[in-house]
Amino acid sequence: MTVYRYFIKIALRNKWTIIAYTIIFFILSIINSSNSTQGEASFIETKLDIGIVDNSNSQLSNGLKEYLEDKNNIVEVGPGEEAIREQIFLEIADAIIVIPEDFEERVINKEKALEVYRDDRRAESIQIQNQINKFLLFANATYEVGKFDLEGMKAALDEKIHVQLIKEGHKGTGEGIGEWFRYYFNFTGYVIMAIYIAVLGLVMADFTDPNIKNRRMISSKRFLDFNREIYLGQLSVASVITLIFILGCVLIKGKYIGVINFHIYVINTLALSFAILCLTYLINNVTRSKFVINGISTVLSLGTSFISGVMVPQELLGDRVLTIAKFFPTYYFVRINDMGPISLLDVRFEILMQILFGIAFLLMGLYFSKTTQRA
Amino acid sequence: MKSLFRNCIYQGKNLFRDFGFVFWSLLYPIILSGFFYVAFSGIMNMDFKDIDIGIEEGNPIQYILEEIDILKVHTISRDQAEEKLIDEEIKGFIDGDLNLIVNKSGINQTIIKEILEQIRQMERLNRPLENYDFQVDYILNKNQEANMIVIIFYSLIAMVSTYGVFAGIVAVSLIQANLSHIGARINITPLKKYNFLIAGVIVALALNLFANGVLILFIKHALKLQLFNEIKYSSLFIFLGNLLGTSLGILIGASNRKSHGVKNLMAIATTLFLSFLAGMMSPDIKVIIDKKMPILGGINPISIISNNLYRINLLGSTKSVREGALLLTLYSILLLFSSYMFIRGRNYDSI
Repeated sequence: MTVYRYFIKIALRNKWTIIAYTIIFFILSIINSSNSTQGEASFIETKLDIGIVDNSNSQLSNGLKEYLEDKNNIVEVGPGEEAIREQIFLEIADAIIVIPEDFEERVINKEKALEVYRDDRRAESIQIQNQINKFLLFANATYEVGKFDLEGMKAALDEKIHVQLIKEGHKGTGEGIGEWFRYYFNFTGYVIMAIYIAVLGLVMADFTDPNIKNRRMISSKRFLDFNREIYLGQLSVASVITLIFILGCVLIKGKYIGVINFHIYVINTLALSFAILCLTYLINNVTRSKFVINGISTVLSLGTSFISGVMVPQELLGDRVLTIAKFFPTYYFVRINDMGPISLLDVRFEILMQILFGIAFLLMGLYFSKTTQRA
Repeated sequence: MKSLFRNCIYQGKNLFRDFGFVFWSLLYPIILSGFFYVAFSGIMNMDFKDIDIGIEEGNPIQYILEEIDILKVHTISRDQAEEKLIDEEIKGFIDGDLNLIVNKSGINQTIIKEILEQIRQMERLNRPLENYDFQVDYILNKNQEANMIVIIFYSLIAMVSTYGVFAGIVAVSLIQANLSHIGARINITPLKKYNFLIAGVIVALALNLFANGVLILFIKHALKLQLFNEIKYSSLFIFLGNLLGTSLGILIGASNRKSHGVKNLMAIATTLFLSFLAGMMSPDIKVIIDKKMPILGGINPISIISNNLYRINLLGSTKSVREGALLLTLYSILLLFSSYMFIRGRNYDSI
């Protein structure tokens, strides 16, 4: 097992690549996990992030502020118009409201009564517009003998309707948790591809070095034994890498694996790992330049992740992009993760596609391997 | 002057023929911007679409809802509602008792809820209908496009503007006898080392500026993204990014005896980490850092470049130009001065 031992030894020399990817991945996963909710058992109103600058400080402006503060999250407003515009641009605030000194007078005269900085292409912009206009519509409707009936308005604005969520009752998993697992495993796909190609590729580049190759050829080591140990080494390293990410998930969100279909995520990850391992085999038979392998690792892992929906959901990608993505196993891997709670039967096509991709890469790799041997 | 020009030509040819430079400085940023575009163009071009709602035939509020611009009313039966909600053909279904049925929580569902509540609240307020003037819009709109995703492109441009760092490492290794064969040869000749170094800096700046130009043209013409509306200050920041990158490369090259690969790794790690903090991986990181550690955002050179680029070009603001340009120049001077301390008067007893 000399070859196997040295394979592992050289792989460990590249441990910093694995460690760097793993650390960044887990830091991002942990940050992401702090944002995941426990899921919605009932309807939750969307609160906007808004800023209010009240130059009026009148009874009406205070009433409006109170109403908006109750419905939304308040953010601090930056000094000056440039800072306000930057807050909207960076989506720190969905809207920033500037109430002028003569606010009440303008409302009574039914004029433009306040300035709202917002992006009017967004639904959040409509929401804040509706809230403000509703409040001021009510205010003017109650305006009698120089006074607004803010108490009456408050009572009316407290009136709610009942919102029923159709999934109520059978929503055991919680969308927030499902979402976290989706992100986690989608990104696992990216990291696995990047690490496999980089680490296994670099190790194999050492073994296919002409000097090493020539020495091996005159040694008593049988070609079959050499290959067997190399494949075993690749499989061992790949298994450890995949295992790190599966166990990492158990460590971070172990208590939820019972409420989601964890076995589907695991089977899906194993299917992708197989496909990527075969892809790495193909790449190793196409090139032995470390520089090219590094480039392929970066470009291919990032590229397939971007077009397959790892970075942004598939529904936001164009049809043309998704058509190209279908030629890579990552697309089918992401599709399964995006499906949420389902049975293994529902994902058999996607699993099969990943395995078929793996077999295709393997056959292509074998072809190139034979061609190189003959040359 | 003649020898400086000759050195520039040779070093330029040398660098341009290096596949590493062509890939990482020229091709990689283009590939990366292409990926960013593919992934984020859907988000960047998101427009508000009317909200589809379902309502039963004969519901008395149907005519009110049909008057509202942002709603698209579909008359469907209660039995069809669930299926259409799951398929997201409608965002909400309103029954005869003014109850709202939805598939999930979200902004569109909240908007529908607010509209329905207004109907109930008006009943509760109990004022004559003529008191309500629905035609008045009290809002003076100050539109400002929100486009956080574009930060990714500006940080990418900021990052690659510092990619002169690699050429900087090469330039300094050419004059150090303990780092390259050419350096060893130069050190035993009467040729001036600084001449080679200056040529290296000029070549690094020129080639990286060329690579930046190619990237910007690619973004503008191939991806059709209009990121640059102002040339003067934008060019200044890209140039300062180049100067900073090259100076950093010279410092990394001069300050230690590690291999060329390790020095490149140090350069990649530094620029990538600073770009990460500037929001290249996720604009949320930039927002969090600006909120929790504004000083870090203020001193990070990649943030200084990307912040100024979007402020100048998309917000029309030049408020932080002077401060940013000064800070970047100061960094470059400090890096060059530190490099000088490492390089000056260095003699080799043995290498």
